[in-house]
Amino acid sequence: MEEVNKNSGQTLGVAALITAIITFVIAVIPCIGLVAIIPGIIAIVLASVGLSQANRADSPRGVAIAGLVIAIVASIMSLSQYMVIGKFADKFPDQIEEIVRDVQKNVVEEIEDASVSIKVENGDEVVEINVDQNKNDKVKTLEELEEGLNEPDDTLNTN
Amino acid sequence: MNPMIHSIQTNCPAVRFRFSLKDDPYLLGNLVFASVILMILLYSLVFSPDRNDYPVVCIHEKITGMPCPSCGLSHSLSLILRGRIDEAYTWNENGMKVFIFFVSQLLLRIFFSRYYLNYPDSRKQLIITDISGSSLLFLITFMPFIIHIFKWL
Repeated sequence: MEEVNKNSGQTLGVAALITAIITFVIAVIPCIGLVAIIPGIIAIVLASVGLSQANRADSPRGVAIAGLVIAIVASIMSLSQYMVIGKFADKFPDQIEEIVRDVQKNVVEEIEDASVSIKVENGDEVVEINVDQNKNDKVKTLEELEEGLNEPDDTLNTN
Repeated sequence: MNPMIHSIQTNCPAVRFRFSLKDDPYLLGNLVFASVILMILLYSLVFSPDRNDYPVVCIHEKITGMPCPSCGLSHSLSLILRGRIDEAYTWNENGMKVFIFFVSQLLLRIFFSRYYLNYPDSRKQLIITDISGSSLLFLITFMPFIIHIFKWL
């Protein structure tokens, strides 16, 4: 029985130390660092209970203290990941506007180069306009035609 | 009164390891860490980078919409285990460093456990060497991720 009392809290201390080290590795990985807070809290609880048991039984406390310190540091690292994401979220709105503007610009440029087909039906009358890769040439021709068309002003003067 | 075994004299390393495991935090820790590393390697081997069926997603990217330095790490580890090193670098440039860290830690757990059992007189020095060496290796490997945290704080 004496042997058991001498190792009181040691098992919990070891469990806390192992959990804390694994938590620390998880906490520094940005992808999954946020979830490390859960094993971090578990490790802190295990270390605290182990430490109090070791104190009562006057058994070695080194492992439990090491587990507690690493668990606290790992939890702080995990919490800092929350802060990093918060900072990202603050900075992100400006960047997202820039991205949306770039995407809009790219889409407009692509549409300008694309071939367009418009078909208008009015009863039996069908008008079809096809614009392919040479769209710019056709726009130029259309502008030339419009310049040459000098229609008289046929607006009725009601005064 | 139940008789208690305080020490065992045998040449079989497996038997000595089994009996030492119950009372020795160092050996127990080594066993747990080796198991965790094996599970990570198994995870990388089971889930395929071609099917992209990884159950763990990047929480950082989900929330912010921006990739983080550890994005593509699972893909990278899987590709390294399949021998596709060039592709692994395109997924995550830190993938190889992380893979070397895990494999070296797995080998070190086995080596240090054997050394710990065979040379009981130098256990303290061994533990100090292990802690300092592994911490240094960890810092070198995960430095880009740690820098990422401090850069944004």
